[in-house]
Amino acid sequence: MKHKYAIIGPVLLLLIWQIVYSLQLIDPFFLPSPFLTLKTLWDIVTSGAGLIDLAATLKRVVMAFAIAVVIGMPMGLLLGASERVYRSVEFIIDFFRSTPATALFPLFLIIFGVTDESKIAVAAFASALIIVFNTAYGVIHGKKSRILAAKIMGASRLQIFRSIILWESLPQTFIGLRNAVSLSLVVIVVTEMFIGTNQGIGHRIIDAQIKYDIADMYASILLTGIIGYIFNAVFLIAERRFLKWTSK
Amino acid sequence: MSNAISINNLRKKLSGQELYAGLSFEAKAGEITAIFGPNGCGKSTLLNILSGVAKNDGGEISIENLQRFSFSYIFQNYRESLLPWRTSFDNIAFPLEIQHKSEAFIRERIQSLGKLFATDFDLHRHPYELSGGQQQAVAFLRALANQPTLLFMDEPFSALDYENSLRMRRSLQEYYAEHKPTILFISHDIEEAVHLASRIVVLSQRPTSVAEVINNDMSYPRTLATLNSEQFHQIKNQVLTAFQKAAKL
Repeated sequence: MKHKYAIIGPVLLLLIWQIVYSLQLIDPFFLPSPFLTLKTLWDIVTSGAGLIDLAATLKRVVMAFAIAVVIGMPMGLLLGASERVYRSVEFIIDFFRSTPATALFPLFLIIFGVTDESKIAVAAFASALIIVFNTAYGVIHGKKSRILAAKIMGASRLQIFRSIILWESLPQTFIGLRNAVSLSLVVIVVTEMFIGTNQGIGHRIIDAQIKYDIADMYASILLTGIIGYIFNAVFLIAERRFLKWTSK
Repeated sequence: MSNAISINNLRKKLSGQELYAGLSFEAKAGEITAIFGPNGCGKSTLLNILSGVAKNDGGEISIENLQRFSFSYIFQNYRESLLPWRTSFDNIAFPLEIQHKSEAFIRERIQSLGKLFATDFDLHRHPYELSGGQQQAVAFLRALANQPTLLFMDEPFSALDYENSLRMRRSLQEYYAEHKPTILFISHDIEEAVHLASRIVVLSQRPTSVAEVINNDMSYPRTLATLNSEQFHQIKNQVLTAFQKAAKL
């Protein structure tokens, strides 16, 4: 039943867009019709031209996210396991979490050069911080009653960690993962816009803008949005499937 | 080997106030002892201190020859001590997994427990799919899975309806007859306390001391007929009178 209503949002958006376009409230040069935009989107995807950019961006996002998970999750679990340790590094995590990742990009350029690595590294860095923070938070704020119950049963520290703490932190960890993949996409697309790349959706958007190929620009923006939406949806579905027990 | 418990002149401060006025009593090895007392007199805290979850501020407690893996404690808040990501079966299996028991051993143990307590629900469901009473039953079975020599229960049947709590009492007695653990349990229900326990410790209001210890020498198993017997009513009245005095009703 819920899914029936989900279609209303996009339809409404297209409708308003069409009305604005038809009434020429905005110069059509800056706002092409929704149909032209969707057709352009279709064309750039089916012709393969957009797919190359899409693949390049996805590859970077997936790599950045994977690195962030591999570094961030163990680190978050480790830091969270001792609240004292976490409190002592909390400032560093919070400071860099509050610093826009893109502000660090020039620094990463110096370290890694004008390469794919620097893009992936800056996105991985920003995402890892989010994962560390959320995982550690999940560990620290897990219910103590279950740990207590396990202790009374005679569980070792390792058993408590593996069978209780790890699970207890999962819901918060998942929130971290979902935010991290979104941020990875944001950072990757931004870095693609400004630093010498020949491929990537960010590059495609800025290129279309420079060439005043406005329909292509809108289509590429839509494509980026769709990717972001799919990432989010995948994590939500995974959450619902694997963390059924959380909200209950 | 069951464990005798002794508590001598126990003291505990809660936010600056004395909770106990030197609490002392004993629980004999292999017996069922019930703790009965007014709200807020520190019954749960007592079990927490005895199990090492909370600290006392004075007095001595001792539990004889208690070994690792042979103690179980059913918290009042059973809901928050079950592992919601595990099925009921895996929850009950958890204390045995900790001891690295084989899968076959675990399955057999849980099957026999399930038979003894005649669980009427699918053990492969998760706790959130069960009613409060069923969840409490899972917590109860989990506590028995390791066949503890010492068992603490903090209002273990509070979420059960009368019919099911009677069933549980019967099954618990069967289990007790076979394994003879030392059981210390908190109850809010006089009938339940007198039905199960051979000693009922009635506590006073705060600052808490032992108001009276009442013995119930009736033989096990105590059936529904026992509940109707003259002796049962007498003991129940004794406890009630002690309680009324202790709670200053």
